[in-house]
Amino acid sequence: MSNPGLNASASQSSPVLELRNVTVPGRQLPRLEGIHLRLDAGERVALLGASGAGKSTLLAVANGLLQPAQGEVVWSGERRARSSRARRRQQARIGTLWQDLRLIEELSVQQNLNCGRLASWGWPRALLNLLLPLESEACAQALRQVDLDPHLLSQSVGELSGGQRQRVAIARLLRQQPQLLLADEPLASLDPRLAQELLQLLLEQATAPRALLLSLHRPDLLQGFDRVISLRQGRICWDRPVAQLQTSDLEALYAGIAEPSLAR
Amino acid sequence: MKPAAPLLLLLPALVLLPLLVLLPGLVHGGGWDLIGEFLLAAVQPSTDPVVLESLLRGLGVTAGMALLGWCASLLIGIAAGLASSRLLWRTLIGHSWPAEGIRRLLAIPRSIHELIWGLLLLQVIGLQPVIAVIAIAIPYGALVARVVSDLLDSLNERNLQALMAAGTAPPAALLSAMGPPLLPGLISYGGYRLECALRSATLLGVFGLGGLGNELLLTLQSLQFHELWSGLWLLLAVMLSLEGVIGALRRRWGMPGRFSLRASGVGRRGRELVLAGLLLMPLVFGVGRALAIEPAALLHWQALPPIAPGGWQEALALPWPSLVFNTVLLTLLAAALAVGVAPLLLLLVAPWPWGQRLLQLIWAIGRLWPPPLTALLLLFVLKPGVITAALALGFHNLGILGRLLLEGSEAAGPQRQEALRCSGTGPRLALLYGRFSGLARSYLAYGAYRADVILRETVVVGLVAGTGLGTQLNQSLSAFAFDQLLLLLVAYAALTLLGEDLSDRARQRLLQQ
Repeated sequence: MSNPGLNASASQSSPVLELRNVTVPGRQLPRLEGIHLRLDAGERVALLGASGAGKSTLLAVANGLLQPAQGEVVWSGERRARSSRARRRQQARIGTLWQDLRLIEELSVQQNLNCGRLASWGWPRALLNLLLPLESEACAQALRQVDLDPHLLSQSVGELSGGQRQRVAIARLLRQQPQLLLADEPLASLDPRLAQELLQLLLEQATAPRALLLSLHRPDLLQGFDRVISLRQGRICWDRPVAQLQTSDLEALYAGIAEPSLAR
Repeated sequence: MKPAAPLLLLLPALVLLPLLVLLPGLVHGGGWDLIGEFLLAAVQPSTDPVVLESLLRGLGVTAGMALLGWCASLLIGIAAGLASSRLLWRTLIGHSWPAEGIRRLLAIPRSIHELIWGLLLLQVIGLQPVIAVIAIAIPYGALVARVVSDLLDSLNERNLQALMAAGTAPPAALLSAMGPPLLPGLISYGGYRLECALRSATLLGVFGLGGLGNELLLTLQSLQFHELWSGLWLLLAVMLSLEGVIGALRRRWGMPGRFSLRASGVGRRGRELVLAGLLLMPLVFGVGRALAIEPAALLHWQALPPIAPGGWQEALALPWPSLVFNTVLLTLLAAALAVGVAPLLLLLVAPWPWGQRLLQLIWAIGRLWPPPLTALLLLFVLKPGVITAALALGFHNLGILGRLLLEGSEAAGPQRQEALRCSGTGPRLALLYGRFSGLARSYLAYGAYRADVILRETVVVGLVAGTGLGTQLNQSLSAFAFDQLLLLLVAYAALTLLGEDLSDRARQRLLQQ
């Protein structure tokens, strides 16, 4: 069953992502405790917090990589599917931009972009893509959307500059056409100008019915987001619109004096 | 149109198509009940104390022969490796031509399989425990020598030049500048050769040179499958323990991995290394005494029968083209099977975690099970010939390559595969795109090296499966036709040297792309 627990019509008005009392015990990754989070279509939400606050863990729960010990994750009204086929359909609607990009260096740009379509392709198509890269026009279009020259399609990813790789990773997300965009510190280690450009690119993609949840280190990049959620020691400190954000909120978060129980 | 890396990895598996078409024609109808009995006996090995005692004694002899052969090969290999290093000669006398000459000479012992060395020594010296040790030490020593000289010549010379410029004597400068960086690669490769030595010692036993191999052959020939499996499980336990210990030491001492995906720079824990070396010495002497090894026996040669008149004409009249063709075909089929089937099986079991464990067990059995015994088993149901021999040789090498692919896959890390899985890609495609992309070239390069080894190993299955130069070698040995034997050895050596050259070129091409 692809929609366990909730009916299909509900998913039209349901939040794109909902975390209900999610708890992840800490072993290798920082723990999460009692996280409630709701992300509606068209919303662009930034996740702030110091290193080790639990941002990556939260994103791993949101993209289904990690299963919470308690609580539940609901994507567009659907709980985590039991059958692997249905789960793959759910995951195909979630796109993640990883901090280390996770592009496949040995393949061409076009083959990397098509990795975004693998969930919907069968074996023959996926194998053919390794011989004759497929869907050139759609890939060229994705590159144009991220301001890259379509001539790059045949190049190996290993030959690209750092900035070009970031854009190719975003273009791969565009090929996937996900409903939920997740990004784990995508702007870390980028120079300020490039960081601003890429952030703009991501924000532009996050229009309804899509939603964006992006983890950040830098509060100076919050312009363009609708909401900000702060995390500390695996708990949400506060969750408020960017417009209502006070400098003291940020100072408290990074100084470590914000009380985790003060959420909203 | 150029196939991308992961597709290259799957191309050798195309060999399965003609094999599947041809295989039904090879089935001779009988013997399936024996195969069934053999498989059932795996879960009911004999626990008879008399059988176990005999098997354990055989295992001890095999392990002892492997240890001694390995130690001797390291001594020969390091000495010959230094002697064939261009860098060493250039530093000492200013020219590297002696290194070139020694390298060419070493190609001859390297090109002849340890089994041929064993059978030749058996003819010349008679059945002595030392034969198996020397049979392993000669080709392994030449292989280690090649690796040592290649490692040495590929090291950065700046440190050496700095010491020489400071007035250090050349031998001291060589030892100080090149010794430490050489050690990790040498010890890592040495560990791998110990695993190989255990397999070779088992194989030599199959051909009558003592140890567990002989027990396995006898139990197979007398259809005592329960006893056979007792020996097999014991050997498996020893081999897996050895692989585990070597792998753990390699990680602990910071040595490069077999695939060299995560090569470390310099070995750590020098004291432990020295201590291990010191402990090895009394162990080697103890094992030598226990096995009654008499190096002096090597000096007492038996008189060989004279060559019959007209023998050379008969030797030249052998069907050389078909012998060589079948040997090459056998190599190509077995290599393609081993290289291509390993990734295919990993893809097949990708959705099930237990599938990988099952493959590991089957591959471990493939590694330790000597190919001639697999060929004998296959002969229960298949007719002898190139394909039967290729299946036996392919299964053995699949065990080796499968393990390497799995090790490489684990070392490559799960990140890219995870990323694909998180976007809804199925487990098999995520493995193919996410992990195999990075592994393909180094795996195929290792496959090219393995093809070269398989060419040497064709003699092993040829002896029982009735095909290629190996079969003729067996017949010539049995007939004491030393003229034929000499020509066969020359043909084998020429073929393996050519194969080595081709595999080197293929490897370099794959790794440079």
